[in-house]
Amino acid sequence: MAVRILLVDDHPVVRQGLRTLLQGCAELEVVDEASDGLEALEKVESLRPDVVVLDVTMPKMNGIEACRVIKQKSPELEVLFVTQHDSPQMMREALAAGARGYVVKSNLARDLVEAVEAVSQHREFTALTRNPRTAN
Amino acid sequence: MKLRILLADDHEIVRRGLCSLLQKHEGWEVCGEASDGREAIAMAQQLKPDVVIVDIGMPHLNGLETTRQLVQLDPNFKVIVLTITDSDQVIREALNAGARGFVLKSDAARDLVSAVEALQSKRMFFTPRVNDLVLAGFLEKGHSSARNEPPNFPILTAREREITQLLAEGKSSKEVAVLLNLSTKTVETHRSNIMRKLSLHSIRDLVVYAIKNNIIQIQMPDLVGSAGESTMA
Repeated sequence: MAVRILLVDDHPVVRQGLRTLLQGCAELEVVDEASDGLEALEKVESLRPDVVVLDVTMPKMNGIEACRVIKQKSPELEVLFVTQHDSPQMMREALAAGARGYVVKSNLARDLVEAVEAVSQHREFTALTRNPRTAN
Repeated sequence: MKLRILLADDHEIVRRGLCSLLQKHEGWEVCGEASDGREAIAMAQQLKPDVVIVDIGMPHLNGLETTRQLVQLDPNFKVIVLTITDSDQVIREALNAGARGFVLKSDAARDLVSAVEALQSKRMFFTPRVNDLVLAGFLEKGHSSARNEPPNFPILTAREREITQLLAEGKSSKEVAVLLNLSTKTVETHRSNIMRKLSLHSIRDLVVYAIKNNIIQIQMPDLVGSAGESTMA
C-alpha cells in the first residue's frame, strides 16, 4: 500500500516542486496539500496521512508548533521537515518537537524520496548540506 | 514551433515547481535551467530562449543585475522577474532593468502562466501593485513613468555592481578575481572605486548598502514561534 503524504508549505510553487519529486515513486502518494500549520492540523485530522512533509517557516502557525500538536494528537504519524534552514540547532528543535526527519531544501532532489521512505518506516533521516544519514 | 523558456532560480525545488507548471502548457518547453545569474546569462546567449524567468534573490549575480545585463546584451530578451516582495523600490529597479514581467513568487502558481502568455503576445505582465505604482508615477509626473526613474545606483558600472554583490556576499578580492577571471589587483581597484563612489568606508558599510539596495537578500533568522513572513524555499 502506498505511503500517504500531506505536503505543507506556504509557497504553491514549492509544493508543486515537492509533488513533482514524489510523483516519480509509485509507492508514495500525495493525498493533499496545506499552506500553513493550522490548515495542516485540519487536514491531518480529516485525511490521516502516514507522513506530513512540513516547512518550518509558515504563516498562522509555524511548522515546529504544528509538529508538536500533530505528534500530541497522532503519535503514530511521522513528520519530515523540509526547510531552508541548514542549521544543526534548528534540526535539534525539529526533532525535539517530534519530527522523524529533517532535510534542507537545497538537497531535496537528492534526499526527499529517501527521506520520506525512511520516516514512513519510522527510521530517522536527517540531512544537512553534506551529511545525509539514517538511523534505526 | 515551441516557445522556449529559460529558468533561473538558485533553489532546485522551485525550478522543479516552475518547470512542472510551465510544461503543462502545450507549446512551451523549458529549454534550460540556471542556478545563478551568471549561468543564466551564459545559457541565454547560447540557447536564445524566447522568455527568461529570473529570480531576484540569486547568489553571485542577482536577478535585477542579470536582467539589466541580458537586456543590454540583446534588447529582444524578454525577462520576467520573480520576487518575494513587490516593494516600490524593487518594482522600480525591475522596470529600470528592463523586465517585461513581474511576478510574486507566492502567486507564481497563479500568475506565471499568464505572464508568459502576455510576453508571448508581445505584452507586458505586472502585478496590480506594479500597475498602481506606474500609474501613480505617470500621474505625478505628467508624461513620465516609473521606468524613467533614475536607477538606484547609477554611478556604478555593471562590473562594479557585480563586484559589489560578491564582496557583500563575503567573498575576498582574491575569490572575486577567480570567479570573474580578473587579476586580484584589478578587483582591488574596482573595490576602491566602489567604496569611493558610494562614500563607504568598510565592508560592513558595503553589506548594509547591498541589503538596502536589494543587491543581496538576507535570510531572516528563523521565525520559530512567529507568524512572520517567510523567504522563498
